[in-house]
Amino acid sequence: MSDDLEKIFVRQLKENQNIIHKICRLYTKGQDAHNDLFQEITIQLWKAFPKFRGEAKFSTWAYRVALNTAITLYRKSTRSVQTVEFEAGWHFVPEHEYNYEEEEQLKLLYEAVYQLNDIEKALVYMYLEDKDYTEISETLGISEVNARVKMNRIKGKLRKILNP
Amino acid sequence: MDELELLKRDWQRGAHRFTQVSEQDIYKMLHRSSSSIVRWILIISILEILLWTGIGLCFNRDELTETSGGTTIGTVYNVLEYVNYAVTVGFIVLFYRNYRMISTTASTRALMKTILLTRKTVQYYVYYNLVMISVAFVSSFVMALLYSPQIATLREKLEENDLYLVAVIVILLVVLSVAVLVFWLFYRLVYGILLRKLYNNYNELKKIDL
Repeated sequence: MSDDLEKIFVRQLKENQNIIHKICRLYTKGQDAHNDLFQEITIQLWKAFPKFRGEAKFSTWAYRVALNTAITLYRKSTRSVQTVEFEAGWHFVPEHEYNYEEEEQLKLLYEAVYQLNDIEKALVYMYLEDKDYTEISETLGISEVNARVKMNRIKGKLRKILNP
Repeated sequence: MDELELLKRDWQRGAHRFTQVSEQDIYKMLHRSSSSIVRWILIISILEILLWTGIGLCFNRDELTETSGGTTIGTVYNVLEYVNYAVTVGFIVLFYRNYRMISTTASTRALMKTILLTRKTVQYYVYYNLVMISVAFVSSFVMALLYSPQIATLREKLEENDLYLVAVIVILLVVLSVAVLVFWLFYRLVYGILLRKLYNNYNELKKIDL
């Protein structure tokens, strides 16, 4: 029974892993940090999995748990005692289809987003994922109005970082 | 153009850019915390044997072993020492095997079994060490009493009066129980924390095993 549940979880996670990769992309810098957070989120998802009863889609549930992990848990336990290394073997595939100028601009943009605080990053993530404000407000536990205001502030903040 | 719009375009196009993690990798991640605890158990047990060997080397027992050399109790003592090293090395091998099993296992069932096995191994290791400490303590005391030149006067007094013998045995027992208690506390502290964490992991896994 347990093995079955684990199998289901692992398969679902594998299929939906880009959600986690994307969150790691916003919250971390560099491959090691990316892998660390990926692991941390995977473990938190696994711990929470028994409570997931399939009311929501796995992907929706997963991104919420993952964001919460990125916001709260990871910040508290950065570089804690968990020292086991393993061959994870994933890395970014360089993007070829962009022109140089756009690539540079994107790099700066990601850099700017990285400078935002954890909650702001969560908002950016959901914005980039085209989540509506109802969902954003639910996930973060703030009002819809507040979410919109925050989003506008983030845009202003990013503009300031990019054009000082 | 809105900066975020550019980012969004790239974002939604870029889903394929992450090299994918395999199922095997995910299993490894899930079992990571248990494997890290078992690895600590392994490391600590090795450090422990190094510590005791170091302490053993610091104490100069030459005099005592010379006088007791060739006697039965001296031989027994030496044999015990070698047996002790062999058994301790055996335990380290067992710890290592547990660690390997936990790091490579791909099923929760097997992981739970290994966790229980590791707990048992550590418990036996602690019991063994406590017994060994008592044996070593008593035997070195008897050896000292019989052969140490420093306490020759005590030996003479013991031969004269039985009351002295009773007193010495009582003191010996008290000191022994204090020593065993101290070691027991030491083991509880060192391994207890790790075992508790490991057991928590076990319970987490059990919860999933509905």
